[in-house]
Amino acid sequence: MDRWPDRPTDAAVDSAAQAGCATATSGSFRVIERRSFGRYALLTLLAPEVAAVAQPGQFVMASVPGEGFHLRRPLSLHSVDGERVRLLVEPRGEGSRTLAAAGVADVLSLAGPLGSGFPLDDLSSVLLVGGGIGTAPFQFVADALGARGLPMTAVFGFRDADQARLAGAFDIDDLYLATDDGSVGRRGTAVELAREVGAGPGASVLACGPAPMLAATRAWAREAGLSGFASLEAHMACGTGSCHGCVVRTRRGFLRVCVDGPVFSFDTLALGPS
Amino acid sequence: MSGPGTERVTTPDLSVTLGGLELAHPVLNASGTFDVIEARRRFGAAALDPFPFSAYVPKTVTLEPREGNPPPRVTETAAGMINAVGLQNPGLDAWLADLDALVDVPVPVVMNVGGGRPEDYLEVVRRVEARLAAGAGAGERLPDIVGYELNVSCPNVGRGGLAIGTEPAETERLTAAARALTGRLLIVKLTPNVTDVVAVARAAADAGADALSLVNTLKALVLDPDTLRPFLGNRTGGLSGPAIKPVALRMVWEIAGTLDLPLIGMGGIASGRDVLEFVACGATAVAAGAVNFTAIDAPRRIVAELREELAVRGLSSLADARGRALG
Repeated sequence: MDRWPDRPTDAAVDSAAQAGCATATSGSFRVIERRSFGRYALLTLLAPEVAAVAQPGQFVMASVPGEGFHLRRPLSLHSVDGERVRLLVEPRGEGSRTLAAAGVADVLSLAGPLGSGFPLDDLSSVLLVGGGIGTAPFQFVADALGARGLPMTAVFGFRDADQARLAGAFDIDDLYLATDDGSVGRRGTAVELAREVGAGPGASVLACGPAPMLAATRAWAREAGLSGFASLEAHMACGTGSCHGCVVRTRRGFLRVCVDGPVFSFDTLALGPS
Repeated sequence: MSGPGTERVTTPDLSVTLGGLELAHPVLNASGTFDVIEARRRFGAAALDPFPFSAYVPKTVTLEPREGNPPPRVTETAAGMINAVGLQNPGLDAWLADLDALVDVPVPVVMNVGGGRPEDYLEVVRRVEARLAAGAGAGERLPDIVGYELNVSCPNVGRGGLAIGTEPAETERLTAAARALTGRLLIVKLTPNVTDVVAVARAAADAGADALSLVNTLKALVLDPDTLRPFLGNRTGGLSGPAIKPVALRMVWEIAGTLDLPLIGMGGIASGRDVLEFVACGATAVAAGAVNFTAIDAPRRIVAELREELAVRGLSSLADARGRALG
């Protein structure tokens, strides 16, 4: 009863995770460019080892080395360009504030690429649904889909004009915006916008954003007969599968966001009301 | 000629003997903070060569599978972190079925055992002993499981764990029963969540423990700043990291000043200096925990720093520093 039509299987996600096997690097990488979008920062790092093997939807664990004890923070790979990787950072707590304040020539402690990534090989057309900082992985995804020549539309939802400045960090042709307060783009949520923009039959929905947005996206996709995947965010300690700190409840029990995800099929997730 | 303390020693001896076990250096991993199988999968075998720890302690294994606590399970705190994972593990049968994965670990393995009822701990030890004996009899290549660490100190499980480790009598009963089942190294992992840690330590020692490890995490609470409700799914969790180091040092120091058995110090170890301080308080070895989450090379850095700490003090071996804070 809880099946979506034409969905790539969990096996596809698992094999995407396997593809990332034994390819992560743990090391120090230099920031070579920093751009600001309001209070958000787009950091470009020279990280050839990471860039060479990264897949869209994967993430890194990163921190600014310094005095005292700090856990690394999980950050989506915003994009990869030759030997460079880009990270989009929202200053939220102390760790992410320090990361967002990193400047050119600063060195980040970083492990990655990590996690499963979006399985892009079996898709025909794609609707990207992003919310807030959850839009972060979608430049990489859009670049990969573009390289495959797949038709793609993106809808991004933000709280307000301040958060909508994140959209400046993206170069996606068919991009629609919404804000909760209507200050930029359509008034409403990313899911309402997705409903309006629509997706062709057989399209796959790739979503990343806050949990309520993911639950609403999944509910809409199901209603529209679309398959899809969601990339989740979680508090992490190790980010590499050791600590079991970042689990999410799924139909297969508690799974680790860091190594079993962060990308899960809509079918696997037990997100809110379904 | 300058005497000891003024002359730089080039290669201080870091080797330690822990209850008959010879270790190349004193740094183990704290259970649940480093998974050799996952680390290999992510970073490749080369990233673990040389192996960062002198002995490997896998995540706690319980008799039955445990789902663990609802998320969120971890978050950073001032100078540390809090966790309420709740001993999520696939259970003993699954662990034994995957024993092969540990065969290539190039250091001794100390199995960390948890449980609900005392009988569950004992059944794990019993079955592991039987499995190892059967494997050895069949000429099977087995991991070098040299002993057990009894986790009687997890603050994040409803039954077992703390309920045993806060009671000297319960700790003594379980330790004695486990002692009767194995000739391997038997370590009891103590909780700091007690008024008198020496009483629990003495109970474990009297019952035949070969060594004690301490401390497990301090039971603690973190609130969600928006809702002012407990942040963790389990509500309370265990505090670890540098924030708890002074507490751990004090407890190691108290026990080492009273009892004569090897101690594995743990609690916020993040540098070579930290290791040296635990050893000065009487620890024979140490375990690095939360710091493993900050970088895969953290333990190697700590060992290198420890060598340097000894060298600049003109100490030719770690043994020369042991117990300096006592008395």
